[in-house]
Amino acid sequence: MWDHVLQALHDSMGRVAARVAQILPGVLAFIVALIIFFILAWIFAAIVRWLLTALKFDQRVGRGSGSLSEISPAHTPTILASRVVFWAFVLVGVVVGLSAFEASSAEPGLAAYVLNYVPRIVGAAILLFVGTVLARFLSRSVLVTGVNLNLHYARLLSTGVKWMVLVLTAAMVLDHLAIAGAIVDLAFGILFGGIVFALALAVGLGSRDLVSRSLERETIRGPEDQHDEPRLRHF
Amino acid sequence: MAEIELPAELLNKIEKTGPVDLVIGVTGPAAPSELCSRARNSLRDISAKTIVAYAGTTHADSLPCVDTPIQLASFPMPSSNSGAFWLDISTAQRSVLALAERWGARACMVTHNDLAALEPETLRLLVEPVLQSQADLMMPIYVQGKYEGLISKCLLAPFSRALYGRRVRFPLSFDFCAGAAVFKKLTDAGSRAHGVAPLLWPANEVAIRGGKMGQAPVAVHHAVRTDHNDLTAILTEFAGSLFQEAEADAAHWQRVRGSEVVTRFGKSSFAKEDSAAQIDPKPMVESFVLGSRNLEEVWRLVLPPAITLELKRLSRLDADNFRMPDTLWARIVYDFALAHRMRRVSRTHVLGALTPLYLGWVASYTQEVASATSEEADRRIVQLAAAFEEQKPYFVSRWRWPERVS
Repeated sequence: MWDHVLQALHDSMGRVAARVAQILPGVLAFIVALIIFFILAWIFAAIVRWLLTALKFDQRVGRGSGSLSEISPAHTPTILASRVVFWAFVLVGVVVGLSAFEASSAEPGLAAYVLNYVPRIVGAAILLFVGTVLARFLSRSVLVTGVNLNLHYARLLSTGVKWMVLVLTAAMVLDHLAIAGAIVDLAFGILFGGIVFALALAVGLGSRDLVSRSLERETIRGPEDQHDEPRLRHF
Repeated sequence: MAEIELPAELLNKIEKTGPVDLVIGVTGPAAPSELCSRARNSLRDISAKTIVAYAGTTHADSLPCVDTPIQLASFPMPSSNSGAFWLDISTAQRSVLALAERWGARACMVTHNDLAALEPETLRLLVEPVLQSQADLMMPIYVQGKYEGLISKCLLAPFSRALYGRRVRFPLSFDFCAGAAVFKKLTDAGSRAHGVAPLLWPANEVAIRGGKMGQAPVAVHHAVRTDHNDLTAILTEFAGSLFQEAEADAAHWQRVRGSEVVTRFGKSSFAKEDSAAQIDPKPMVESFVLGSRNLEEVWRLVLPPAITLELKRLSRLDADNFRMPDTLWARIVYDFALAHRMRRVSRTHVLGALTPLYLGWVASYTQEVASATSEEADRRIVQLAAAFEEQKPYFVSRWRWPERVS
């Protein structure tokens, strides 16, 4: 009996070792392919950055008010282009590595599956990038405008807008990746509705005080006072 | 820059009339009959062959401007389609100057379409020095009270003076008179900028090219509404344009040392007495404190730590003791100009975040000059301009080595 158990364990160990030995070259090939493409990615990204800088690409594509750097000052067109080149090479490296892994293993169709999923990942990455940049830009815009309008709840509004865009982005990314579709829809509806409701309540309650204060000021101050008050002329 | 396209009828008129001495260009639509009577009255002391041009489409030959040497002409006004406050005015000013150049005029008086500047004394002060070749450009010194024209007084004039080295009181004005020598320079100004049509800064342009400049006090009041809600838009437009000019002219202004007095024509006093009533600084201090509480994340990206610390200290003061030193304000403006160039934050956000700081300066200034006469308040403004000049080495250093923070 004990001999049978030992034999079964021994066989199992042998099978696992054989399996590992079978997969290991594939894993190594994957890592080597990834390292090579990382190096290539780094070199080509540097070349692209150097070329675009030499060609004054950022100035040529326009640095007007509607340009990318206006929304995201840290991301100049040159940096963006070099990053796109870098990650394109890394992606190709992953695909080549997976292909090598598949060739040396007994698992068919893995590379094809991943390859089919790549466009979704790329789309989701773009959505995530645009969403986070937009969230930061809109939140700052609301904050600056709110402060200049003397709104005491400007910070609250700005945070609300930021989280609304981030929640919307997260839902779109997950939907694009086809992960937990129904749950995401439901959670997004609840979260988004919750934020809008909370903002509406906060702004509504805040504005009530604001309006009453402003009305009080107007009532207390007679029309003759308004004429006597010297006026600032900014220009 | 929008190229002015003149209709065939106007080109024929230019050819038929031949060169003129003076073109008076109104930077907007005007009623021809009123324009004619105002021009006739204001030009009575100036003997010059004059064309009065205004933006519009009315047939000029049929207009009631008879029995005078003055001729009226209308020109099509190119639209900037921006909705910005000053950009349309700048576009029209360039069109008027281009028209004067085409007409072969010796001088061109640019004026606002409220026609407030079409007065004999104003025209004499601004036009005569140009016609007599005493100046290439005559800028007005608007006679204002101590609480008027604050953006010009605390930002546009001292910044321009420090950078371009000429003590011009109103570098951005509705009215000015230019000589033929600078028409081309002024109409071409701004074509170097990419994408965004810039405002026309005539005094700064002439200063760069070493032209002769003069200024004269004029009792002209242009009614412009700038209530609190418009303030950010106006400040953004003016400061944004000035900072953009500074970026374009960096090679020039880094070599300029000190400033020259601009020849003054006319009387020396140009301050208007205000009513004795006081300005309440509390709302402005509250705006500053609100900005300090909420915009710290933007200010920290724009200003060095020493200045943000100083602003924090100011935000704890009560309204009556609130004072913003000139040095601090000058450094703030310089740091915002640098941030505008560096784009560490979006330009819209940089310029928007300047408003509470500007209101802080206004609160401080209104308290300092509360009991001062207009002359004393004017001396206070001169003192501020001197502080901008003193702090220029700081700006040059920050401009050259932006990452180095003192």
